[in-house]
Amino acid sequence: MLDRSIKRLTNFSVTHPWWVIGLTVVATVAFAAQFPKITIDTDPKHMLPVTSPVRQYNDQVEREFALHADVIALGIVNKQGIVNRTTLSRIAELTREIQKMPGVIARDVMSFTTIDNVTAQGSDLAVRPVLERIPESAADLEALRRTLLENPLFINRIVSPDGTATAIYVPIEPTANGKLIADEIRKLLPPDPGDDQYLLAGDPIARDTFGAEMFRQMGLFSPIAGLVMCIALWLMFRSVPMVVANMSVALVSIIWSMGLLIGLRYPVHIMSSMSPVFLMAIATDSVHIFNEFAFRFGEMRDKRRALLDTMATVGKPIFYSDVATAVGFASLATATIVPVKIFGLVVGFGTLVILLMSFTLVPAILILIREERIPKAARSLDESHATHPSSLARLGEVCVRRAGMIALIGGAFFLVAGIGLSRIRVNNNMVHWFKTESAVRTADRIMNERLGGTSTAYLVSQSENEDAMKDPVMLRGIEGLQRELEKDPRVGKTFSVVDYVRRINRVLHNDDPAFERIPDSAEEVGQYLFLFGTSARPSDLDNVVDYPFQKANLLLQLKSWDAGVMRDVIGRTEAYLAAHPLPGGAKVRPAGVAYFNLVWSDEVLWGMLESFLAGLVLVLILLVVQTRSLFWGILTFLPLLFTIALIYGVVGLVGKDFDMPVAVLSTLSLGMAIDFAIHFVGRFQQRYREHPNLREALVWTVARPGKGIFFNAILFALGFAVMVFADLTPYITVGVFMVAIMLLSALMSVIYLPGLIHLFHRVLLKGKLL
Amino acid sequence: MRYTTLSFMLLMPVLPCIHAFAQNKPAATEIVQKSQEAFYYSGNDMKSNVTMELITADGKKRTRVLTMLRRNDPGTANQKYFLYFHEPGDVRRMAFLVWKYPEKDDDRWIFIPAVNMVRRVAAKDSRSSFVGSDFTYEDISGRDVPADTHTLLREERLGDADCYVIQSVPKAATEYTKKLAWIDKKTFLPLKEEYYDAQNQLARLFTADKIENVAGQGGKKSYQTATKRTMKNVKSGHRTDVTITRVAYDIGLDDGIFSERSLQNPPQQWIK
Repeated sequence: MLDRSIKRLTNFSVTHPWWVIGLTVVATVAFAAQFPKITIDTDPKHMLPVTSPVRQYNDQVEREFALHADVIALGIVNKQGIVNRTTLSRIAELTREIQKMPGVIARDVMSFTTIDNVTAQGSDLAVRPVLERIPESAADLEALRRTLLENPLFINRIVSPDGTATAIYVPIEPTANGKLIADEIRKLLPPDPGDDQYLLAGDPIARDTFGAEMFRQMGLFSPIAGLVMCIALWLMFRSVPMVVANMSVALVSIIWSMGLLIGLRYPVHIMSSMSPVFLMAIATDSVHIFNEFAFRFGEMRDKRRALLDTMATVGKPIFYSDVATAVGFASLATATIVPVKIFGLVVGFGTLVILLMSFTLVPAILILIREERIPKAARSLDESHATHPSSLARLGEVCVRRAGMIALIGGAFFLVAGIGLSRIRVNNNMVHWFKTESAVRTADRIMNERLGGTSTAYLVSQSENEDAMKDPVMLRGIEGLQRELEKDPRVGKTFSVVDYVRRINRVLHNDDPAFERIPDSAEEVGQYLFLFGTSARPSDLDNVVDYPFQKANLLLQLKSWDAGVMRDVIGRTEAYLAAHPLPGGAKVRPAGVAYFNLVWSDEVLWGMLESFLAGLVLVLILLVVQTRSLFWGILTFLPLLFTIALIYGVVGLVGKDFDMPVAVLSTLSLGMAIDFAIHFVGRFQQRYREHPNLREALVWTVARPGKGIFFNAILFALGFAVMVFADLTPYITVGVFMVAIMLLSALMSVIYLPGLIHLFHRVLLKGKLL
Repeated sequence: MRYTTLSFMLLMPVLPCIHAFAQNKPAATEIVQKSQEAFYYSGNDMKSNVTMELITADGKKRTRVLTMLRRNDPGTANQKYFLYFHEPGDVRRMAFLVWKYPEKDDDRWIFIPAVNMVRRVAAKDSRSSFVGSDFTYEDISGRDVPADTHTLLREERLGDADCYVIQSVPKAATEYTKKLAWIDKKTFLPLKEEYYDAQNQLARLFTADKIENVAGQGGKKSYQTATKRTMKNVKSGHRTDVTITRVAYDIGLDDGIFSERSLQNPPQQWIK
């Protein structure tokens, strides 16, 4: 049935090539017409649906405590100390100008000039901005320095303990673009900063810079990868039409699938932006057609016959390998995360387009090649016949002869990979998506060295009763938790209503340090907080307690974006609360961007890992169906398993995180690594059916389809090797992985399959003809 | 500064005259001065019960109930306020004393009953929130008229009232960059005020929602009083609803009430 459909389709294409080409162009134009409607979304948060509990709770916490989800931190470092007239003037000026920027939530910009300091001046209580006017004299400067460093509320938050760093915290509207605002802020920075160093950090910058860079790098590297592949393809076949055919297939599948995505009004997300590169890679499958066509034409010198025979021979493996690839990607549709689902379906759809093109557009273009140009293609293969196939044939010989040894080495590799796999760490750290020396990462590093930390988390204590957060016992519990969490060096700052209460208690008592503690009665606490709320900005208090004083927010600054830090914070919190429960059964719940990252990491990445495993099973089933044999199915499956095990084993061994880019790649590896084995097994079975000599059939398969496999692998690897020069680490990862996946799976298929088939031929072949 | 205060005081007796030739389009500054007079200075003194509801964007409420006593300092534009809190429960007996000067930051004292302590508070009126509400101290007691440049933009109807629309731009940087006020031509009460922020966007919105005519003690004079007011932070969605009840003017409050001493021993007669 399948054979007949393939035959009919290729027959039609070979007979009416212009029709096929014309129809393809029309359809492609229709899909391309959707492109202007493109919308882009780079916020990883949106990968979890609005209805997900973590997003909803996060939104609720932000509402209840008047907090902002997106905050840019402008760090200012001066090794001589930031309390000098020049730096202070700049801070005042920058704050003023930043507050004017559209998209900035002006009322909550936090800096020396906007934050209030509560101090005792004699017997008076003074509530004043930290920096009201620039001090004139050295004595006044020193006084300001002392004020800053004396107030524990400020330390590590707006001033470093040694007085060399401060930050302006700039909350931005949820709809604002962090990178654009960061660019605007950069324009405000003094052209000649002198001893000052200005650093821009924070989640919105990392995210939106990545978003902008992503499209830039994709725009730069997809064409370069395409070009390198064109050149390699030309070197292999010396035929322009073949290069054109291959690139047309890639282009058509990219335009159709992206057009469909955009036409259906889905935003292009970080993940789906990678689809073009993936499709380009998958499209290299047509190399198998070129390879076989060149061989056949060389043998029979009849273009039409050679082409039809080629399609009849490689049609089935191409069909199954593309379907396996499509299934691999479509398995992502089982994920709960919408953009992941969409990405899987888009690439799955694109793969099916490639499959369709392989039986229509490719033969249509090939039949149009003038006869006198094909021999060239065939000859160029013939020329290398002297070296390549024979070396491949020799390789085949060795594989068959030393099958046991090779299997043993493979087993050893497997074992090592297993150790690596057990060490894999699921983690997503967006700052690490930038190179070590990049501005984003440098800023993040320096600010984390000097201040409390660029990542934020919230621990919300919630009681059953109103006014519970005025209870001194409750406050002592929260204070205890703060001190416990501060034992973790990655927790740079903890901050809660307790800190305000202690501060006011001390200031009211003539700045006596003995009163820097929680008072004994709820009445006192209530009146202190009331006093604080009537003298400063109400939002200061709103950030730490909710309206009915039923919930308190403990703010944490973390020095790392690793999900593991938050996991440890939660672990420590739970352990502490188990030993020291809060009164009245009050519960503590985490929130904030750091917690969000943790959940995201767990849900998205584990979700992808699960879909990946589901994909593996699906592919195995598909292989068993295709080969109509459990053993052959498993055998064909082995190179894929081996490739994946080795790659992730190495990931585990070198300590690279299993993060989003790696997770995306895992699905790619699933689709790609299976191709070669399908081709190898399919072609071997055909050959063995025609010439039932095991050893000869194996060596032939290594030599002839093996060549197509290696061509395909090298082509692919070359194309993606250029991504190693990208500025964003995920693209470098993509490049390295692609190369590794291709070369490994090619080697696995060509070296291990003959060995294994030889070793287990009794079970596999069982005397019957396939 | 002194001069402007003085001129303001000199102007006060002639205000009715100005009212008489209001058709001649009074200058913006005069309108603002008359508005301040009508809004902040009615009577020689005043007593009222104030209920403030602080309401978050998603409807959570905090309530403050207080008695406010005010006395105009005869012969100057200075005023004294005494505020005594009834609610919330844990701040009952807390009391504030404010000596207001138009041209500089107020003197403030606060009594904290839990520790039986009076403290003077030094703060910036333009930015400190009044008891956690969306009103600043400046909104409660008035801003120095010459601190802004006033322009009469246009005259228009707002609801049933004919209004002057005055733009006031602060001369020195403060918490807002521009204020638009709709001032009732008849009562000179501000019916609506829009405060704009550094991005020139509407940040806060004041509305006088209910105006009542309150007779002064002795029945000779009566005063238009905004008994319901709202200040909304447009950006955050937070708002403060104020209801003023039991308003009485010209009740003969003694200057001695407005002293540190009465913070600890509030004048029971007036605060009930």
